[in-house]
Amino acid sequence: MDRDLTSITQDRSIGEAIEILARHRVTGIPVVDEELRVVGFISEKDIVRAALPGYFDYLQDTSFIPDFGQFQSKLRQISRHEVSKYMTNDVDLFEEDDSDFTVAMTLVQHGYIRGPVVKDGILVGMANRSSLLGRILTESDET
Amino acid sequence: MILTVTMNPAVDEEYFLPEFHVGSWFRANKVDHSAGGKGINVSIILAQLGYENAAMGFLAGYNGEYVRDELRKHQITTNFVHVSGETRTNVFIVDETGNLETGIAEPGPYVPEEALERFLVNYKRMLGRANLVFIGGSLPPGVPQDIYRELITTAKEEGKEVFVDAAGVSLAAALDARPTFAKLDYRHSARSTGFLPTSLDNIIELFREAHAQGIKCCLASYRCYGEVFSLPGGVYLAEIDREKVVSMLGAGEALMAGFIVGKKENMSEEDHIRFAMACACEDTRHVEKGVYSRKAVEELMSSIQVDKLE
Repeated sequence: MDRDLTSITQDRSIGEAIEILARHRVTGIPVVDEELRVVGFISEKDIVRAALPGYFDYLQDTSFIPDFGQFQSKLRQISRHEVSKYMTNDVDLFEEDDSDFTVAMTLVQHGYIRGPVVKDGILVGMANRSSLLGRILTESDET
Repeated sequence: MILTVTMNPAVDEEYFLPEFHVGSWFRANKVDHSAGGKGINVSIILAQLGYENAAMGFLAGYNGEYVRDELRKHQITTNFVHVSGETRTNVFIVDETGNLETGIAEPGPYVPEEALERFLVNYKRMLGRANLVFIGGSLPPGVPQDIYRELITTAKEEGKEVFVDAAGVSLAAALDARPTFAKLDYRHSARSTGFLPTSLDNIIELFREAHAQGIKCCLASYRCYGEVFSLPGGVYLAEIDREKVVSMLGAGEALMAGFIVGKKENMSEEDHIRFAMACACEDTRHVEKGVYSRKAVEELMSSIQVDKLE
């Protein structure tokens, strides 16, 4: 687990969330309350989906070319909205004592890159897919 | 949990030269790179002594990532606000012949108002998880010089103990908020006030002023290798053995970390001082900042000379 508590509250703006994602070079951050309880998760994907609501599913198709101007204008518009409007509410949370294998498998199965780790519901860090895989690879056979 | 605040972290680069003088070209015998800034150093030493802690402040650029990664290696919880620019680099040149140290500190990245606001929101949230706060070091451009007053007041309102190690204007602002423990670094203020307390009487007078302000415990450096502590039970002068000193970089923070541990473990005043000084002493015995182990610190406790002055 990476003991980083970078997070955002749901009343902050999408613009601020984008700035944090860019500066911390992460794809998503937990949304927390005043006591650091995880109440949601906001990712790049949630933000792109919010900016291209009707076309998000077509983005996987290489023949689909979204209109840059429209995307930019919509992104600027939603950047003033609150995080609560676009965050994922139903978040898979990991416990501090969950095994590396369980956490890695959950992340892979759901297509998550990172996910929040909690203790008594309070954010204590982030599980990261590549770090976990690396650790499983180098872990001794006895453990 | 212990929370450390470093508003202006750094990457410390220490170069060891056989002999150094200005205007020449040198090749270093040894180089040591490490994450730095007072709170960062305290965090790392607390972790080395087995104490869980969290670090927060501002980071920027590649240096910021290096500092964050170093903290992660020690399993320290991080909650930094990232800003544009680059976390500063501090360069220290150690002349091994004369055992003299020359330092150059960068100012650090500019912290915009919105980043400061985000930090303050995070700080209040982290206070809920902390029982003791350490605040120390210089301030980067953009951060108000009296910010420590606000941070200490907020922590005290939440019932947290606050330890401070600052200098100049930021120390004066910190003292206004009456922290639990303050390290009085008078070297910088001496430039503006013209008053350099070189004698023990001068230092004790400074302590009296701090106590009158409501600060119960104080500490100040005396000459190169000594510290004067003013605690509820008396005033003490403590000194380390100067023969085996390799590098003084980070020794002040080792002292603070040791003092925090002593407080956490309810040590008697003399043991508390010995433990803190032994942490500093152990830190000075090698090039790398920090302490090798708690055992190594405890082995040095008996070598610390402690005299009760009052």
